[in-house]
Amino acid sequence: MTKIQRTFKEGLNNFYRNGWLSFATVSVLTISLYIISVTLIIGVASNIVLKNIQGNLDVRVFFKSDVEDTKIQEIRSKLVGYQEIKSIDFVSKEKALEEFKKNSIDDQVISKTLDVIDGNPLLSSLVIKAKSPEQYDIIVKAINGAAFSEDIGNIDYKQNKDAIERFITIIKLVKQVGITLGIVFIFIGVLITFNAIRLTMYAHKQEFEIMRLVGASNIYIRMPFVFEGIFYGAASSIAVMIALLVTSKFLAPITSGSIAGGDIMDFYLSHFFIILLLLLISGIALGTISATIAIRRYLKI
Amino acid sequence: MYNEKVVKFLNKNKKMLRFENVSKIYPGDFVALEDIDLKVEQGEFISIVGHSGSGKSTLLKLVYAEEQPTSGIVSFNDRPLDSINRKHLPFYRRNVGTVFQDFKLLPQKTAYENVAYALEVSGESDEEIAERVPEILDIVGMGSKMGKYPRQLSGGEQQRVCMARALVHHPLVIIADEPTGNLDPTSTWEIIQLLLKINSLGTTILLATHNKVIVDKLNRRVVEIDDGRIIRDTEKGKYSSVKDKA
Repeated sequence: MTKIQRTFKEGLNNFYRNGWLSFATVSVLTISLYIISVTLIIGVASNIVLKNIQGNLDVRVFFKSDVEDTKIQEIRSKLVGYQEIKSIDFVSKEKALEEFKKNSIDDQVISKTLDVIDGNPLLSSLVIKAKSPEQYDIIVKAINGAAFSEDIGNIDYKQNKDAIERFITIIKLVKQVGITLGIVFIFIGVLITFNAIRLTMYAHKQEFEIMRLVGASNIYIRMPFVFEGIFYGAASSIAVMIALLVTSKFLAPITSGSIAGGDIMDFYLSHFFIILLLLLISGIALGTISATIAIRRYLKI
Repeated sequence: MYNEKVVKFLNKNKKMLRFENVSKIYPGDFVALEDIDLKVEQGEFISIVGHSGSGKSTLLKLVYAEEQPTSGIVSFNDRPLDSINRKHLPFYRRNVGTVFQDFKLLPQKTAYENVAYALEVSGESDEEIAERVPEILDIVGMGSKMGKYPRQLSGGEQQRVCMARALVHHPLVIIADEPTGNLDPTSTWEIIQLLLKINSLGTTILLATHNKVIVDKLNRRVVEIDDGRIIRDTEKGKYSSVKDKA
C-alpha cells in the first residue's frame, strides 16, 4: 500500500470509529447541502418555467362577431410591421371552434352543449406574440389607442401578466429564504465537522509524538484527518442526492407538465450527474475546509 | 545487517556526532545545558550518566532534533542539524532509533503492528514490511509474541519491541533514554545485552542511565553530566569517579 492508501484507510477507520458522532455530523452537513441544492434547483427550474410561460405568452385580440375576416386580415398586415411584434396569427371563429371541439373532446358536457347550440359562439382573434415580455404593455396600449379599437371585443392579456408577476415575486422570496438558511446551515455544518475531527485528533493524541519520533512526515500525520473531512462531505452529498430523489418523487404530481413538458422528477433525472457532481464538489470542499481548520488549530506537531 | 563499507567509510572520515560549544537555555532562563563539547565516533557505546535533571535527556533530545540548541552546533556526520529543513526532519529521524523509559508503544496495535508502523510511515511496501518486521522481532527475541498487544507483554518484552521498532530503519545511532528505568534487574540486563549486541554490529549507542550497576559492568566510555555541563568523559569508565572502597 502506498502512503496515500494507508492514510486513506486510517481516515476511513476514524470516520467509522466515531460512530454516532459521524452520523450526527453527516446529518447536519446533509441538511445544509440539501437546503442549498433545493434552493438552487428551484431557482433553475423556475427560470425554465418562466421562459416557458413567457414563450407562451401572447395577447389575444378578440374582434366583435360582426367584423369581417378581411378587415381583420387588413389590421393584421398593418400590425405585422411593428418592431415589438414577433408574430401575429389570425384565428378565424371557425378555426377557433374546431380547436375548441378538439380540446374538449373528453368533456361530455361541453361536447353535448356544442352539438345543441346553433351557430358559432366564438370570436375571431389575432394572436400576437411580442419579442420580449415587457413589450406586451406597449402593444396593448397601441391596440387600445388604434383606429380599429371599436372593432375589438376584448383583449385577453392582463391576467397572464398578474400571474407572472406573482410567480416571480414568490420565487424571489423562496430564493432569498433558501440562501439565507443555507448559509446559516453551512456555517453550522462546517463547525460541527471541524469539531468531530478535533475529537478524533484528541483520541489519537499519543500517537502524534510516536509518529514524529518514528519519522513520519507532517503530511503523513495530517492526511487521515483531511480524508476524514472528505468522508463527511462525500457521505452527506450522497445523502442529499437521496433526499432530493425522495423530494422530487413526492413533488412530481404537483409539478407535472410545468418544466419543459415534464415534472420535477424528470428535471432531477435529466440533470442527475451535474447535481451529483456539484454536490460532491461542495461536500468535499466543505469537509476539507473543516479538516484544515481543525489541523491548523489543534494538530500540534 | 547493513553495508559494512558504509560503516567503515564513516569511521574513517567523519565524526558521527559532534557537539560544538552547545548550550540549551529554556524560556525563563533555565539553563539545561552549557558549553557542551562532545565527539562521538561511529560504533561507540556511550553511557551518559548524571542525576535527574542534570541534562541527560536534553542532550539526547538535541541528537534526535526534538530540540535545537540555543547556541553552538550539533552535527550529524558533519552536517549541522539546524541546517535541516523542518520538512526534512522526519527523514533525519529515520537515522536515529529511539528507546524510552515509558516505552511509547501504541496500545491498540500488536507488537508486530507497532514495529510495522515505523516502516509504514516511510512508505515501505507491504511485502517489505512482511519480510523485515518478523526478522527484526526475532533479533530482539520477540519473534514468538508478534501478535500480542503491549498490555499482554511484560515490561522487558515491551521494551524489546521498542528496540525492534528503533532498529527497523537500520539507524546509525540508537538513543536510549533510561530504557531500563521501569524494569526489574533481569529484564534490565537483558535489554543491555541486546544493546551490546546491536552495538557489536556497528550501531552507535547513546545510553542515558542512572543505573550504577550497569555502567560499572559495561566498562565502556562514560560521559558524566552535572548541572548541564560535562564534568567527565572517560573511556572504560565507571559510574562514579569516586573510587569505591574495595
